[in-house]
Amino acid sequence: MDKLQINHIQCDASVFLKMAKHCHEESQTSLDLPQGAILGMLDGTRLEITHCFPYPNNMTESSDDEEYQWAMMRRLRVVNVDMFHVGWYQSASNTKFLTETLLESQFNYQTCISESVVIVYDSDRSIRGVMPLKAYRLSEQAIKMYKEGAQTFKALQELGVGFEKLVVEIPIHIKSSSLTNILLLDMYETLPQEKGSQYLDLGTVGVLEKQIRGMMSRTDDLIQETVKFNRYQYSCVRQEHEKQRQLNYLSLENSARVAQGQKALSGDDIKNQFREISPPPRRISLILSEQINFISKEINQICSQSIAKLILTEPLQTSKEEKK
Amino acid sequence: MSRFFAGGSDSDSESSSEDEQINKVSQPTIQQVVVYSDDEDVKRVVRSQKEKRYEELTNIIKSIRNHRKIKDIGSILSSFEDFTRAYTKAQPVIIKEEKGIIPRFVIRSIVELEDFINVTWEDKDGRKNMSKNNGKSLGTLRQKFRKYIKDFESEMKKFRENPDQGEYEDDEEDKAVEQDSDSEVEVPKAVSFKKEVTVKEIKPKVAKPDDGESDDSMDWGSDSDTSSSSEDEDPTDLRKKFLKKTTEAEKDEPEKAREKKPKLTRPRKEVVAEPEDDDEGGWETVPKYGASEKPKMFAKDAEIDIHIVLSKLNEVMSNRGKKKTDRKLQIEFLHELKTIAEQHNLGAALAVKIRFNIVSAIFDYNLKISEPMKIEYWSKLLEVMADLMKLLLVNLNDIKLSESITDETEEYETKPYRLRGCVLTAVERLDDEFIKLLKECDPHSNDYVERLKDEVTVTKLIEQVLKYVEVQGTPLEICRVYLRKIDHLYYKFDPNVLKKKKGQFENRTSVDEMEKLCHFIYANDNTDRLRTRAILSHIFHHALHDNWFQARDLVLMSHLQETIQHSDPSTQILYNRMMANLGLCAFRQGNIKDAHQCLIELMMTTKPKELLAQGLLPQRQHERSVEQEKVEKQRQMPFHMHINLELLECVYLVSAMLLEIPYMAAHEFDARRRMISKTFYQQLRSSERQSLVGPPESMREHVVAASKAMRHGEWKACSEFIVNKKMNTKVWDLFYEADRVREMLVKFIKEESLRTYLFTYSNVYGSISVPYLSEMYDLPKLKVHSIISKMIINEELMASLDDPTETVVMHRSEPSRLQALSMQLADKITNLVDANERIFEAKQPNFFQRNQGGYNRQNQGGNQGYNRQQNFNQNKRQGQQRNRMQKNNYHQQQQQQQQTIEEKLE
Repeated sequence: MDKLQINHIQCDASVFLKMAKHCHEESQTSLDLPQGAILGMLDGTRLEITHCFPYPNNMTESSDDEEYQWAMMRRLRVVNVDMFHVGWYQSASNTKFLTETLLESQFNYQTCISESVVIVYDSDRSIRGVMPLKAYRLSEQAIKMYKEGAQTFKALQELGVGFEKLVVEIPIHIKSSSLTNILLLDMYETLPQEKGSQYLDLGTVGVLEKQIRGMMSRTDDLIQETVKFNRYQYSCVRQEHEKQRQLNYLSLENSARVAQGQKALSGDDIKNQFREISPPPRRISLILSEQINFISKEINQICSQSIAKLILTEPLQTSKEEKK
Repeated sequence: MSRFFAGGSDSDSESSSEDEQINKVSQPTIQQVVVYSDDEDVKRVVRSQKEKRYEELTNIIKSIRNHRKIKDIGSILSSFEDFTRAYTKAQPVIIKEEKGIIPRFVIRSIVELEDFINVTWEDKDGRKNMSKNNGKSLGTLRQKFRKYIKDFESEMKKFRENPDQGEYEDDEEDKAVEQDSDSEVEVPKAVSFKKEVTVKEIKPKVAKPDDGESDDSMDWGSDSDTSSSSEDEDPTDLRKKFLKKTTEAEKDEPEKAREKKPKLTRPRKEVVAEPEDDDEGGWETVPKYGASEKPKMFAKDAEIDIHIVLSKLNEVMSNRGKKKTDRKLQIEFLHELKTIAEQHNLGAALAVKIRFNIVSAIFDYNLKISEPMKIEYWSKLLEVMADLMKLLLVNLNDIKLSESITDETEEYETKPYRLRGCVLTAVERLDDEFIKLLKECDPHSNDYVERLKDEVTVTKLIEQVLKYVEVQGTPLEICRVYLRKIDHLYYKFDPNVLKKKKGQFENRTSVDEMEKLCHFIYANDNTDRLRTRAILSHIFHHALHDNWFQARDLVLMSHLQETIQHSDPSTQILYNRMMANLGLCAFRQGNIKDAHQCLIELMMTTKPKELLAQGLLPQRQHERSVEQEKVEKQRQMPFHMHINLELLECVYLVSAMLLEIPYMAAHEFDARRRMISKTFYQQLRSSERQSLVGPPESMREHVVAASKAMRHGEWKACSEFIVNKKMNTKVWDLFYEADRVREMLVKFIKEESLRTYLFTYSNVYGSISVPYLSEMYDLPKLKVHSIISKMIINEELMASLDDPTETVVMHRSEPSRLQALSMQLADKITNLVDANERIFEAKQPNFFQRNQGGYNRQNQGGNQGYNRQQNFNQNKRQGQQRNRMQKNNYHQQQQQQQQTIEEKLE
């Protein structure tokens, strides 16, 4: 795998709308997360996304899925559309996107097609009127981790995988064609004048609540993982103690035997007797930490926006009072 | 509460024991009959071996005979081989049972076969014409036969000498097959012989009836079988005639034997009974009993008096419970006896006795307890029963009926008459039959209504019995009859009760009646069951008539809740019914909490239908066996006693809504919030999960929709969902005073909506004006005032009332929602930090070795406000968490700032 650097993604406006439409429609009706494929091509350090198509909702067998994808791409080729598969998109609300499954499938994508990205559509953000798309790629360490199937604490430490280094976010630029821009400008004239009231809408309470609830559940899970690890530590220590005790006993006995002129006993039995306790997998807590990280970033963002708005309103308020 | 049903077949055994009781009452001899049949069973086991073997032999012999006729020598040969084999098998039996004497039918067949072989062997022409196969077989057969026959030579000789008489004289005790063989011998003499045998057989019976009869009846059973099958083989006229007669005679004999039994027990009546006995004595002239012909009652010129009729009655009744007796005929017979007795004016006692027997005969008509009786017999039963009661009531003081009177001490001739029997059990059985009949009918058909009309008669009968028992019976009996009456009374609604409460009605109502009956039972019953049932019915009745406080007090005083698990299923069902009704009553009276309490246990299980015995749930795979289902079916309530399940559920859900919604609003942030009603909660949840909620259709959807409206404090929408045309027809109109209930409901909805509103939205108010609230909720100002005061007192609402301005001033002591959440998060993170620190502690020894004490333990104590990221690299995550917490605190501050600004803006 060559060192591939993607600095930013350039996304076609129509693709964005298509993704938004698909995710918005399906995330409300079905329990499955809506997913789809992204087509485009790599241009230097810029990934251009020019097309996308949704995966069918009721996929049961993976073979059908693959067939569908190939058929779809072949047909798109016929109509002269970019047919390079450069990743996939998924809808996920409330920053819940970062899951084991997502990471694994992204790992698969990235090992097959090195330039592939995953685009996550966050419906909550779209409701708030914030850019709902985010593109991610697995970091090199993460790919290595998945490749080696590293689960234990030690292995992760050696790889140097930290929670903040699991995925890399890639900025997305949305580019619309000149024609579209002209149309938009044209429409802008006909649109009624905004009163500007909605810009000051803080709208943060509900969102913050949601985020904090999410954070709470993650924290709960993380506590559980930690407790698991803690328990593992204790059992390791206890085992070590027991082993040591028996070895001491043996050495005492051996010294007695040597004194009596007998052969010393080997301590192999005792060493074999204690099998190493398998450490709990750490990947889950890694992912959980990353999730919490994302949520806190999100909160930070929201809050800074809100604070900006507050600062904006403050002079208005004071001027109003002064008038009185 | 389904454990109630696991109890097993209590009711079943109960009814059967009752059945037995009746038997005992009216017919003491039945006990003996039972003993017979037991004996029979034992004997049969002993004999079966022999019978089996003999049957085998006879079958083979028969086939040999058939083959002989068509001269199929090959088959004869194989059959003969079978025969030798079967015979060796039968040998031990023969030695054991017949003292080594070879049965005659065996000898005979051997002799016949020998003759046949000899004849065919001699017939040289015939032999030449035979097929090759047959010829060969004939040779082998002859050889084998000769060899085999050697063992039997002496017997065969004897038989040839005297083919008819044989050892008949010794055979007296010989069993079925022996006689069977007799019948097959075509000898006219056998007729006379047979007579001898039967006569002889009767004699020992008279001496010791038990054994003799059971033996005989046993034998005849198999006899008639074999003889009829052999009939077609030897179609001699004489034989036919003979056969017929024997079977006839045989059928008569048990009867005769039975006839003689009374003679034994009551020798003094023998003289009187003689003529009829003689009449039947000649077995040739007696008509078959049990056939289409009607049994002859008395000789034409016989002098009819009490004793004759009585003995006849006993004779008829002694057939009770036997398989062969035609039950229908028995009933007819008894009716005839009744008319004869009436014609000859034999006194009330006898009339009562006969009617008693008719009643029990009708009860007997059905063999299975679980099945209802036929309608025609039911109406007949009612008739006779009414008749009987009339007679008894007329002679109220002259006739003494009791179970304790034995047959010997019965007195028919002089007053006071003494009779054995019990009207109470009869009427109890009748009542049970009535309920069974009802259950059999389709509740939505006219049949059911027709049947239900009989309830008047049944209650009348119970009333009559009650009158009778009140004079004659013991307190326990009175209790029983009272309970029967209560059973017919407790579920019926009497509008007069409510009228009386309003002072519009003066006379006695059913509540007073119940009061009287139950009090008597409470005082006089010493079996716990009757009292329990009486209390339950009493509570039910009170609850039905909205006497909430009486009903509640009775429940609380009885302490039944603690012991009800140990009682029988039918009582438990009654308890469930009572609880359901109590819940409805509490609801009608506006005690929502109590209503909910009463109903929760029933509704929690999601199968109130089963718990109230109002229908079985559809069978899932092997959930219950067939028997279990039968038992459960027996427990079902008849349809007219059902409690409307939809009403019950609706009342439950509405009361749960009125309790749960304000509670949910008040405790939104509690981490450990308990649910008041799980069922309701589930309904709400499942509706929330739906992506599209349409307008409500069913009762449940209505309640859920109403709950949702109430959550936002929209009382009008809520009450419209609860009280509307659809819900009225579905539910509310089922109440007696529907309008009052609806008014009460709307009132409650308003109040609870107000509470919910205050809980949910108090954080956005600085103060609320009371008049505004009262206008909003269409409640009087005082009411609003009292509700708010109550909330303040209970510390549910942090506010104070400002009287001059009539406003509620909110106190912002409660954290806002976001703040509460942040606090929870902070707690959680502290936990996480602790857990992480524990991990770290475990590593500590190594850490020290590596870092040489670059770590200060003291710092670890506090949770907040310190920064030690540089101290360790492993625990980066922990530091991260800490950062986050600081961030959160920051948020809180921000949030507070925001709020203050918002307030300012307002």
